[in-house]
Amino acid sequence: MNLLATLGASAVLTALASALFAIGASVYALRARSARAQHAARRAILAVAALLTGAIALLGVALLTNDFSLAHVAAVSSREMEPRFKWASLYSGQPGSLLFWTWAMALFMAAFVHITVPRVPWCAPHAVATAGAVLGAFLFALAFFASPFAVSPYLPEDGVGLNPLLVDPGMLIHPPFLLSGLVSTSVPFTLGAAALLAGRVDGAWIRHARGWALLSFLVLSVGNMLGGWWAYTVLGWGGYWGWDPVENSAILPLLPMIAFLHTLQVQERRGMLKLWNLVLVLAAFALAVFGTFNVRSGLVSSVHSFAQSEIGPYFLVLVGLTVIASLGLIVWRLPDLRAEAELDSLASRETGMLVNSYVMITIALVVLGGTLFPVFSELFNDTRITVGPPFYDDVVGPLLIAMLVLMAIGVVVPWRGAAPRTLVRRLRAPAAIVAAATVALAWLGVRDGFALAGAGAAIGVASVCVREYALGARGLRRATGRPWPAAFAALFARDQRRYGGYLVHIGVAIMAIAVISSNIYQDQTRAVVAPGESFRAGAYTLTYNRLYAERPNRNGIDVEVRAEITVSRGDEVVATLAPGRRTFTNFPGQPVAIVAIDGSFARDLYVFIQGWDESLTAEFQAFVNPLVRWLWIGGAVYVLGTVIALAPRREPARERAASPAGATERA
Amino acid sequence: MGAVRARAAIAGFVALAIVGAIAFVLFATRGGPSAPAGGDREAQALAIERQLLCPQCTNERLDVCTLAICTDMKGVIRERLEAGAPPDDIVLYFRNRYGERVLREIPREGFNLLLFGWVGGSLALVALAGGGFLYRLRRASRVRPAPAGPPSPDDRWLDAQIEREP
Repeated sequence: MNLLATLGASAVLTALASALFAIGASVYALRARSARAQHAARRAILAVAALLTGAIALLGVALLTNDFSLAHVAAVSSREMEPRFKWASLYSGQPGSLLFWTWAMALFMAAFVHITVPRVPWCAPHAVATAGAVLGAFLFALAFFASPFAVSPYLPEDGVGLNPLLVDPGMLIHPPFLLSGLVSTSVPFTLGAAALLAGRVDGAWIRHARGWALLSFLVLSVGNMLGGWWAYTVLGWGGYWGWDPVENSAILPLLPMIAFLHTLQVQERRGMLKLWNLVLVLAAFALAVFGTFNVRSGLVSSVHSFAQSEIGPYFLVLVGLTVIASLGLIVWRLPDLRAEAELDSLASRETGMLVNSYVMITIALVVLGGTLFPVFSELFNDTRITVGPPFYDDVVGPLLIAMLVLMAIGVVVPWRGAAPRTLVRRLRAPAAIVAAATVALAWLGVRDGFALAGAGAAIGVASVCVREYALGARGLRRATGRPWPAAFAALFARDQRRYGGYLVHIGVAIMAIAVISSNIYQDQTRAVVAPGESFRAGAYTLTYNRLYAERPNRNGIDVEVRAEITVSRGDEVVATLAPGRRTFTNFPGQPVAIVAIDGSFARDLYVFIQGWDESLTAEFQAFVNPLVRWLWIGGAVYVLGTVIALAPRREPARERAASPAGATERA
Repeated sequence: MGAVRARAAIAGFVALAIVGAIAFVLFATRGGPSAPAGGDREAQALAIERQLLCPQCTNERLDVCTLAICTDMKGVIRERLEAGAPPDDIVLYFRNRYGERVLREIPREGFNLLLFGWVGGSLALVALAGGGFLYRLRRASRVRPAPAGPPSPDDRWLDAQIEREP
């Protein structure tokens, strides 16, 4: 008997039993009004988290001790791998990834059950039962379709090792964030479903869902950004977002979650959009489950997909059940989902947020269609096709510009509407800045209509937010006599959500400008040169000095071949780069590019080696990517803004006193 | 005043929708990337490569793929360019040889038009359903007119700041 495998499998099965117990105890608690049963149900969810933590620890031990009697360990790890990559290999294959996914979900659910459920006694049994059902569905797959504790039919001397593309520090952070982000959508979903089950769909569930939704938005956003950064620095194609089916699956749940974070404010303040908010949280979770189905089924070919397996149909059924159950619940409670207030004006912030959520959902529908269309083409037209970046650029690009325009207008337009005179006054300065910036960009040589429209809209977003900060800080300065920096900092203490949110918008604007410039004005050069020869890439001269090989003797790497390149601009040497190629002992047919980047705030010089011959004449590709660094800076601003908005709210006394009766504290 | 404001707002949204629709049509109907005519042969070859995908890898552009089959394909592109073949014919040659999956841009014809139908349908669905929802919310306030309501403390405070602007 393999003790470790037996303990691990037992932990998973016991966790499944605990999840099922949580459902049963919650139903009993509801019917018998038993506080003890309710308490036991909550404890059962905590037990699921504890048991899966144990399972993760056991698998971690198996990986670190090279226990190749476990099939998963033999498939993804090897003796030579560093401990950090052994840990990372835990979530690299189908079973390990599913264990990590379910574990992360259990941790979120445990935190939810511990922190939030006691505060929502009116839907506590429903919430715990839903949490148990969601966890149970994934635990069932883990126990019966893809167990990481399955024993190898024979004991190999060594494991195969991590897939070469995954042997990178990015593997230590990107998948954990992305998987956690995807599963985090289950908490707002659970709360929304519980509110529907309990028949209480007023603002109460929204207030508790807000923090979880913001956390989900943060983790999912960071996961996607890290994915872009990893693709850029590892994959060696000069870009960071390829509209790959699995990339699409990762961003799909983020779209309704962003929409929800905006429209929930309308429900909080005005008691409107109850139905829409529920649709958004349910859609976010359904899309997250669709994403895991997409990755795990092998349905759509992608650089990220796991091998095709029998788990696919199970997840397809799960996606279907999620959608049908969600729609059923909404239809059941439809009479209770009427708005408590009316729209006073179409020129109001409510309308702006609602219309922007429409744009988000349209983008989600378009991306979903593009992701699945190759499957339909093969199924009904017997033709394999690829829906590549040009489709998304053409279709999603204009929608993103519309989103930016609405973001700018939404910040300026007040709640409930404003007189046209007020609107004009508020829009005057940002519009002038946008016009001046657009003219300046055109004068500087930007001729592409898309670039001008996108950059103009992004500048509009940033300028309205900066204006809000300036006006706020000036008001505080006048009222309190504080110096400018202190007044500016005090704004965030005054209203974290509002001013943190503006920072997120500024981050989006910075990222938009970086995306536009690096996509439209990317300069690509290919050159075949012998040692000692030079070639030009943009304004730079790249001199290929020599080719050399190294054997690092770690992580299954057989050999690293690198080229030494001196980069100069005019007579000045600005950098020395070492692009290369890495081959792996167990994967001789899968060499991996070693990308070399000389970055600055203005541009990245991105170089990789395409190949070489016996005379050491080598083929290089060099990209000059303008403003890419601003993508990561914008991402950092976006994350900072979200963290500020997520911080515990210190509600100003004046706002509490002035809040319209029933608007924010309706529950 | 309320009716004037509503009309102005509706006109604003209609204008935005028209501009958005025009922009969308312009972007959606613009042609695919075309190789520079004549001149730099290498730039022409690179532009063609960027329109194609590796037939063996998953979603990997031909220009950055290092597989032997892609090296061969790049060689064929150069040979055909040398022989004076137009870029579109070269792309067509690879399409006929490996199928539509090697095209980075999905051809806008035949069965594939369903995808663009899906895009149009999504836009129409969201516009109609969303517009209807918005109309219902708005109509409810007309049936039961509500006062414009005082601005929130935040907005009142912001308005006061703007009034003080020089």
